[in-house]
Amino acid sequence: MAMSEKAKEFNQLFKERLNRQHVLSLTACAHCGMCNDSCHYFLADNDPKMTPAAKADSIRGIYKGHYDWLGKIVPFWVGSRQVKTDEDLERLKDVVFGSCTGCRRCTINCPFGVDMAGIVSLTRSCLVDVEVAPEGVLTVMKDQWETGNQMAVSKEDYLETLEWLEEEVQMELDDADFKVPIDKEGSDFVFVINPREVKYAPLSLQAAFKIFHVAGLDWTMPSEGWDNTNFGLFSGKADLGGHMGNLAYNHAKQLGVNRMVISECGHGFLSTKWEAPNWGKANPLPFEMISILELMVDLINTGTIILDPKKNPLPVTYHDPCNLSRSSGLTEEPRFCLKRSCLDFREMIPNRADSYCCTGGGGAMSMAEYAKKRLSVAKKKADQIRETGAAIVTTACHNCVDGLSDLIKHYDLKYEINGKSMWLPVKNVCELVADAIVIPMELPKRKPRVKEIVKPVKVLVIDDQPDIVDYLEALLQDNGYEVITAHDGDEGIEKAKADRPDLITLDVSMPGKSGVTVFHELRNTPTFEDIPIFIVTGVVDFRQLMYQKTVEAPEGFMQKPINPEVFLMTVDRLTDRTRQKVAVEESGKPA
Amino acid sequence: MAIFELGEVKIEVDEDGFMQEPDVWNETVAAALATTEGVDDLTEEHWKVVNYLRDYYLKFGIAPMIRKLCKETGFPLKKIYELFPSGPAKGACKVAGLAKPTGCV
Repeated sequence: MAMSEKAKEFNQLFKERLNRQHVLSLTACAHCGMCNDSCHYFLADNDPKMTPAAKADSIRGIYKGHYDWLGKIVPFWVGSRQVKTDEDLERLKDVVFGSCTGCRRCTINCPFGVDMAGIVSLTRSCLVDVEVAPEGVLTVMKDQWETGNQMAVSKEDYLETLEWLEEEVQMELDDADFKVPIDKEGSDFVFVINPREVKYAPLSLQAAFKIFHVAGLDWTMPSEGWDNTNFGLFSGKADLGGHMGNLAYNHAKQLGVNRMVISECGHGFLSTKWEAPNWGKANPLPFEMISILELMVDLINTGTIILDPKKNPLPVTYHDPCNLSRSSGLTEEPRFCLKRSCLDFREMIPNRADSYCCTGGGGAMSMAEYAKKRLSVAKKKADQIRETGAAIVTTACHNCVDGLSDLIKHYDLKYEINGKSMWLPVKNVCELVADAIVIPMELPKRKPRVKEIVKPVKVLVIDDQPDIVDYLEALLQDNGYEVITAHDGDEGIEKAKADRPDLITLDVSMPGKSGVTVFHELRNTPTFEDIPIFIVTGVVDFRQLMYQKTVEAPEGFMQKPINPEVFLMTVDRLTDRTRQKVAVEESGKPA
Repeated sequence: MAIFELGEVKIEVDEDGFMQEPDVWNETVAAALATTEGVDDLTEEHWKVVNYLRDYYLKFGIAPMIRKLCKETGFPLKKIYELFPSGPAKGACKVAGLAKPTGCV
C-alpha cells in the first residue's frame, strides 16, 4: 500500500525531531508494569491498552520501524509499527491527545524514568504539523500566534476588564486609592495571568489584587505579553512556545522589573519559568520568575499580611496540579498558605508528587471530542475528593479548576450548606488567602522586598535496618521533608543535638543503645524535650515499657510493617504544630 | 457527536454538552440544558443573563467578556455564580446555546 502524504511527512518530522532523551525513553522500557497503577486512564477500568507502557508502544513501534534493524526485517518480532495511512495517524492522535494528559505520574514510578510526557509531546508536535490534531488545540494555537493570548482577548477588552476590576476592589476595600497599575516602569514585579481570568473567571484576579494592595507591594500589570499560558507545551511546538515566552519576557524587560510573578496556572508556570526560556533562546533573563504561591508565602512569613483562618471555617482540601507538584516541586507553598487561611485543612490521599491528575491536563479541556472519556477516567479523582469530606476544593491551577469542576458535576459531589445541597466549589489558593486577610486600620505604604522560601520541615530517622532507613528517607523526601538519618542510638542522639530536627522517628529494637534509652535521654535533655518523637517499631510489647516511665509519652506510635499513608499523615500532624510555632515566633503575630 | 434528549427536546451537542446548531435554540431548549447545570427553574434573572449572552453571540460569534456581562445585566460577579453554579463560561454560555468556549476552560 502506498504511504499517504500526511504519513510521509509525519515520518520525516518524527525522525528530524527525535532527540537523545526521546530515544532513551523509547528504548529503556522493560514492560515491567510498574507504571500501570500510576495511570488514571488504566485505573478507571483496568484496560490493558491504557497502561502507559502500552500507550508508549504505539510511539515506540514507530521508532523501531525506523531505527531498529530487527524492526525493519521482522517487525512483528519487536513490535515495530509503521505509520502508513491517515487512519494510522488518527489512531495515534487518540493515544497522544485522547489517552494521556502528560501528567508524568508514570515517570516517577518508572525504574528507568521513561519520560512519557516527552515522547507524547514529540508525537503531538509531528501530528499538529500534519493537522491531525483536536480542533480545539489548533484553534488555541492560532489564537496565540495571532493575538498573543489563548482566548483572543483584544487589548481594549483586556484593559477595560482591569479597569472594571479596579472598581470592584475599590468597592470591596472601600478604598478609592486602589489602582491597577499598567506598565509601571521600574516596578518590583509584573504579574502575568491566564486569559481565562480576564475573559470568564476574574475572582482570582480580584483576590490577587486585594492581596498586593493590602501588602503595599510595588507591582504592575503588563499591557502586552500578559498571557502566561502556552500551547507550545500542549502541542509540542517549540516555536509557538518560544514566541509566547518572548512576548512576556520582552515586555517585562522593557518595564525593567525585578521579578515576574506567575498567577496560579500549572502549565503556565512550567512553560514560562522552565521551558520557554529554552524554546525562545531567551536566557539569561534579567529578572527572577516566581509563582504567586511563593510570593504569598513570603508575605505571610514576614508578617506583611495577617490572616485569620476563622474567616474560612468550612473544610478545605487541596489538589496538587501535576505541573506544579511533580514537575516544579511546589508542594509545600500552597499548604503553607492554606493551613493559615482556613480552620480545617484536609489532605487528599495520595498527594503532592504522587497526586492524580485533575484529568483535564495536557490541554484536555480544549479537546471536546475526548470529554466523555476524560470524565469516565476521572472516577479515581472523584473518589479521592469525596473521601476528604471537604466543602471546598482548592488548587493552584486554572486548568485544574475547570477539570475538577467538570468531574464534580459529573460525579455529583455535593456538600450541604444551610440546608441547600451544592456542587463543591473549586477555588484558587489566593482566593482563600484573600478571604482570610485581616485589613489593617491603615493600609501600609511600605514596599517590602523579601526573598525567602518555606523552610522545609526536618525529620530525623533513627533505625538500625538500612532498608527501612532508605525507604523512610525516600518517602519523606518525596513529600517535601528534609531528612537526616541515623543507624543506631548513639548516632541518633548525636545528630538530634547537632541538627535539631522538627521530628524524630525512632525504632525501638536496635543493637547498642535501644530506642527506649534514646527516647529517655532526649526527653531528659533540656531544650530537646519538646521535639516530638514518633515511635516506629515492629516490637509491640516495648510500647508499654515506654509509657510506664515518668517522662511524657511519645507523640506518635506506629507498628511495622509501615503503612506509608498513615505514616505520612502522622508525620504531617506532628510537624504541623512545629510549623505553626515557627510562624508565630517569626512574625510575632498569630499565624 | 452526541444527542441530548429531555422531554420533547432532542438536539445535537458536543461531548461537553454544548449545542452544535445554535439555530435550533429556543426557550424550551434552554430550560432543558439548564437542568444539566444544576438550574431547575429559569427565573427572570436567569433569562436576563441568557438573553444577553445569546444576543451578543449572534451578533459577534463569540462569548462576551465577563465584564460586559456584568455591566450589561447589572449583576455583580457573585450573582452570576449564584445563578449558574458552574460559572459564566461553562454554565451560562451552555444554557444560552453558545458553542464551547475555546482554551483552558
